[in-house]
Amino acid sequence: MGKNQFTETEKKTLRSMFWRSGLTFSGFNVVKMEGNAFCATMAPALKELYHEEEERKKALKRHDGFFNTHAVPFAFIAGLTYAMEREKTEKGSVDDDTIENIKISLMGPTAGIGDAFFFNCFRIIAAGIGMGLAAQGNILGPILFLLIYGGSQMLARWYLLRAGYTMGTTFIDRVFSSGLLTALTKAASILGISMVGAMVATMVDVKLDWTITIGETSVVVLDILNSVMPGILSILLLFGLVALIKKGKKPITLVIGILVCSVALAAAGIF
Amino acid sequence: MIQSGLIAALVWVLVQGLDRLLSWQTLQRPLITAAVTGLFLGDLQTGIMMGASLEAIFMGISAIGGAIPSDACSGSILAVAMTILTGCDVETGLALAMPIGTIMATVNELWKTVLASFAPMWEKLAESGKDGRFLRMMIFFGLIVDRLPQTIILFVSVAFGVEGLSNVINMLPAWIMDGFGAASGMMTAVGFAILTSMIWSKEIGGYFFVGFVLAKYLNLDMLPIAIIMAVAAMAYFFNDKKLIEMQKAQAVSGETAADGEEDFF
Repeated sequence: MGKNQFTETEKKTLRSMFWRSGLTFSGFNVVKMEGNAFCATMAPALKELYHEEEERKKALKRHDGFFNTHAVPFAFIAGLTYAMEREKTEKGSVDDDTIENIKISLMGPTAGIGDAFFFNCFRIIAAGIGMGLAAQGNILGPILFLLIYGGSQMLARWYLLRAGYTMGTTFIDRVFSSGLLTALTKAASILGISMVGAMVATMVDVKLDWTITIGETSVVVLDILNSVMPGILSILLLFGLVALIKKGKKPITLVIGILVCSVALAAAGIF
Repeated sequence: MIQSGLIAALVWVLVQGLDRLLSWQTLQRPLITAAVTGLFLGDLQTGIMMGASLEAIFMGISAIGGAIPSDACSGSILAVAMTILTGCDVETGLALAMPIGTIMATVNELWKTVLASFAPMWEKLAESGKDGRFLRMMIFFGLIVDRLPQTIILFVSVAFGVEGLSNVINMLPAWIMDGFGAASGMMTAVGFAILTSMIWSKEIGGYFFVGFVLAKYLNLDMLPIAIIMAVAAMAYFFNDKKLIEMQKAQAVSGETAADGEEDFF
């Protein structure tokens, strides 16, 4: 099979996924970030691959989890996931955990690369060209900016989606035929869980603002806790939530619980 | 002014909405937003030229009066609208647009928690398997719901002025804002907790803390952390690979040994 030869069905699915991947920031929320967009992007692939209705529903729900990266590598990961889902449904060689771990391990680093390329490089170049023309009142200014910055992202997304898919298929085939899939799964989950740790450190924030005053001295509680270990509250919060989820508490309960506690504690002067 | 307010709100919905459908983050830049605002308010030329200076300001290349409103898109719309509608110069227009960044940020914190409470609705929708409906809801949220309060604020600011609005916001007790701000910082943990409960196992769980320490103590970016951890993961992978190959080799040699014994007897 030639690597760039997609079948008609594959082409159709990839096209549909491409347009849907434009929804990266739609339906965004702080709990799942781009999870809804990832689910919407995977939907055409799942429709093609899963013929059992119940299995397809399960797969859709699986991809409506937490997801976050830059919009351009978003398409690459979606393409790769399409390939992994194909391996899963056609050969049974990949399991749900492997797919999820590979997704997680890629989102942190790709976000950095996407920002570096597009936000910090292409945008500046495009703005430089656009501003020069716009300052003279030339309509080409905004138009060129749009074409260079928007267009480059559009093209990159299209090619990366396809590249992700091709790479995924060949790579997984090779790993599977060598019988090393369990080893790969474990490696991916090491990378995955450590990226979760890193993301919790940077993205979860417990804004404790509590000062205890005893006589003349006042003590900032957050400083003391952070001198024990920076971010200790984030870790406690996370594992508290993990324990609650394992007990079967629903995410909405946790979200509302957090909101109520925060406002109540803020009223008490702790946040 | 009500008509101009509606036009400003329409520009906002247009640039924000299209950016959300195409994931460009391009139309909401001042260069485009200002030109579109100018076009809709009947003075394209001013819009384009203001776009150039606004883009420079929001990129941090230059500043007017040393301060920059924090929301590039709404700040640009408001500044261009004020300049065209009242005939003031760019600097005054921008000065009038200053408070909107703060208002937008405040409302954004409140709205974040509302959007977060939609998470279970999305999950149910995904589980129902109705692709088409999921997609339509995504487009509806992207175009309208995600930025609904901001749209209203922009309308009110242009139609009735920004000052009144900032007074209303200032009347909110501080602890409500603090509470909502703290909540949105912690809600992200729910998403991570779901992930962690899915992939956690005793054997690899410790690596969570490695990632955490690398980011928190050493302040490393995601990419260097990923490189370090990828090396660790690869070491694990090759170790496992050796183990699997040894097991295979043992199994094979065991067979041949058995064969040999048969031959021997």
